[in-house]
Amino acid sequence: MKKTFSFTILLACFLSAAFFACQDHTVNPGTPGGTTTPGSTTGTTGTSSTVDLASSLTVTAIMSSSATTNTTCASATGLAKIVCLTEAFKATLSSTQLSTVQLTYSLANAQKWSNLPANLSARYGLNLASLNTAQLTAFRNLMVAVQGLGTANEGYDELLGNLVADNYLYSNGGGAGYGAGNFFVSIVGTPSTTGTWEILYTGHHYTQPYTFNGPAGSGYTPAFRGVEPTSVVSNTATNQSYQPMEQERLAFAAMLTALSTSEQTTAKLSGTYSDLVLAPGKDWQFPTAKSGLQVGSLSSDKQALVLNAIKLYVNDLDATTAATVLAKYTSELANTYIAYSGSTSVTAQNDYIRIDGPSVWIEFSYQGGVVIRNTPHPHSVWRDHTTDYGGTK
Amino acid sequence: MIFTGILMGFASLQPVWAHPMPNSVVLLNIHADRIDAELQIPLVELQSAWGHAVNDSSAGLVERLGPQLRDYLKSHIRPQSPDGRFWTVSVGDLTIHESQNPIVGVYRELTAQVQMVPPAGEDVRQFTFHYDAVLHQVRTHKILVSVRQDWAGGQLAEAEPAQVGEISLDIVNDRLLPLAVNLASGSTWTGFWSMVKLGTQHIAEGTDHLLFLLVLLLPAPLLVAGRRWGPFGGVGRGSIRLLQIVSAFTLGHSLTLLLGALGWVRLPGQPVEILIAVSILVSALHAMRPLFPGRETWVAAGFGLIHGLAFAGTLSNLQLDAGPMALSILGFNLGIELMQLLVILLTMPWLMLLSRTPTYTYVRNGGALLAGVAAIAWIVERLTERPNAVTHLLEAERTHVGWLLAGLALLAGWASWKNSRSASVKKPIL
Repeated sequence: MKKTFSFTILLACFLSAAFFACQDHTVNPGTPGGTTTPGSTTGTTGTSSTVDLASSLTVTAIMSSSATTNTTCASATGLAKIVCLTEAFKATLSSTQLSTVQLTYSLANAQKWSNLPANLSARYGLNLASLNTAQLTAFRNLMVAVQGLGTANEGYDELLGNLVADNYLYSNGGGAGYGAGNFFVSIVGTPSTTGTWEILYTGHHYTQPYTFNGPAGSGYTPAFRGVEPTSVVSNTATNQSYQPMEQERLAFAAMLTALSTSEQTTAKLSGTYSDLVLAPGKDWQFPTAKSGLQVGSLSSDKQALVLNAIKLYVNDLDATTAATVLAKYTSELANTYIAYSGSTSVTAQNDYIRIDGPSVWIEFSYQGGVVIRNTPHPHSVWRDHTTDYGGTK
Repeated sequence: MIFTGILMGFASLQPVWAHPMPNSVVLLNIHADRIDAELQIPLVELQSAWGHAVNDSSAGLVERLGPQLRDYLKSHIRPQSPDGRFWTVSVGDLTIHESQNPIVGVYRELTAQVQMVPPAGEDVRQFTFHYDAVLHQVRTHKILVSVRQDWAGGQLAEAEPAQVGEISLDIVNDRLLPLAVNLASGSTWTGFWSMVKLGTQHIAEGTDHLLFLLVLLLPAPLLVAGRRWGPFGGVGRGSIRLLQIVSAFTLGHSLTLLLGALGWVRLPGQPVEILIAVSILVSALHAMRPLFPGRETWVAAGFGLIHGLAFAGTLSNLQLDAGPMALSILGFNLGIELMQLLVILLTMPWLMLLSRTPTYTYVRNGGALLAGVAAIAWIVERLTERPNAVTHLLEAERTHVGWLLAGLALLAGWASWKNSRSASVKKPIL
């Protein structure tokens, strides 16, 4: 009996060992249904953000002023002032927040933007809902300094209108991935007047980067503009009304409808465009050949209409910066091309416009509604052939 | 196990930054002499490319525009062999249904079954895929091409489709390029082996099949004493009973697996799954009180027929040609037997040991009770088509079966030791 028993103990050990050794063959922990996650758009890093409406309304209320409260940077000018205001914003943050908002400079960090709400595409940095009043005010002081002021639905006012529109989406079927609290700020690289660094502000329908290369120049693209709804939205804090992209749409329609029939034929693209071509993620892929109609072949009044459309992007920047950029685009206007697909009135889904110059690249796509179904809404991107990401490739 | 969910899982995958428009999906099923492709085309994009208000009025679309749609697809799907010759393409079933992704929400799409046959002597695994449906016009459209099944390459529709590539506008050069498809060479052996693996996996994950067999084997080493289970009947007798029961079960499920996989017998999944749960309940009751003593072999064979029908469901989902199907039935069944054998080898020694001790009464009744509860929970789940607390628990605890086995081994060791001590006091023989 003893012998039999020790044999069974031995057998027990052997079989148990064999079982555990084979366990990954015999037991599959996966559920057999194996559901794939459709449209998994969140990256492996960054923050997927959802925020309640009250927080987004608080953010919007604090952002609803274009007056600066900063006095310490008042004497500084140009890039030194932006560095000063960025440092002033950083000074209000806790060490944890600081480590989240301050990234090292790299193209990969700069490319972390999207036209999707932050619950579907993660961003780096801090979302506005996580900032307290003092921090948000310091951030506002920075944005007011780098944005154009004084024109309705342009510059800082357009940025604000975009927050208000996203709050509207929250309450009209969009949910907690939408709203002002889900917009992000990150500082990519160390702020300085000499090195390369970037302020990246990115949310659902609005992304604006500012890349500084010291004396070598700066870049303000790729910048994304869009909006849903296209109808008028109202800021509950101020009762101010916004329609952030309507001027752009009208400017493109004016530019296209002014063209003669033969000019329109030349400008018309054979393809259909249901979205932007150089959408988020399609960096440094400018077409080698330009399509459409050369602006230099147009009468000066029609050329002015092209420049008007370009201004609605460039003049979102502070007046000094905008003037520099616009001077460059104006000097290149004759060699810039315009093209479109769909209708010239820019009213229908798949209406598409492109402005492609030696430097400037602007696309505008009127596309199917997402939260507000069956109503087209605009997506638009402004890029620059040489200064996208401040020239970082 | 209900595997129908697997085929439905694959939806449009989006890149990291995303596209607010849904993309097309092409799923390839690679056969020895042809490729069957399933196309999924969002109607909103098809309308932009082709017109006919296919999205605005999608009701009755196939009846209304079936022939034109087939012609359109045929002219935009042109696989080409390396020698330059184009394949023969035919478009079969067209259906319209709703799909969904988190970015665009619900949208309607056209699903088309397309058959692509290379010229005689040309390989199905190497070709240039000229596919530009929708994309020929809508320059922002995107087509994701994946292999859903490649039997000879060892990939089965049970797994997630393997992406081959994306067809989209070459933005820089403003042109459309075809997709080069080069599938790694496959073999009959690879296909066969993947079926063996699928068989083992099926049993390993199929808690219900295993439980049925184990519970049926619980009283196998015992003699019947009146209307109750009696003492241990000896290793030799026990082993023979075990062999008989397992062989009968195998014979039963092999028969219906063959008939079911060949499509000669087809029963809807739900009643089969319910009957399987009932089979566990019956054998659990039998393990408590002998219901059909001496006729376990017949019962095992009978319930084997039912379990085989469930196995067959997995194979008939694969849509294989005759040759691969025959090998698949063989390989799948072999995998099932191997896994069954492993489980028996891992458990029966302990049960045999235990069955010589008084402790076995508790083990047998306890095991049978637990199996009975599980069986009832499964019956309820499969009748209501909704999981319940018990089946959730079973699914979650499935991975801990190793500990259960270790516990069983320890218990067997302890009970035998205790028994041998008391036995050596009373009757010092052996």
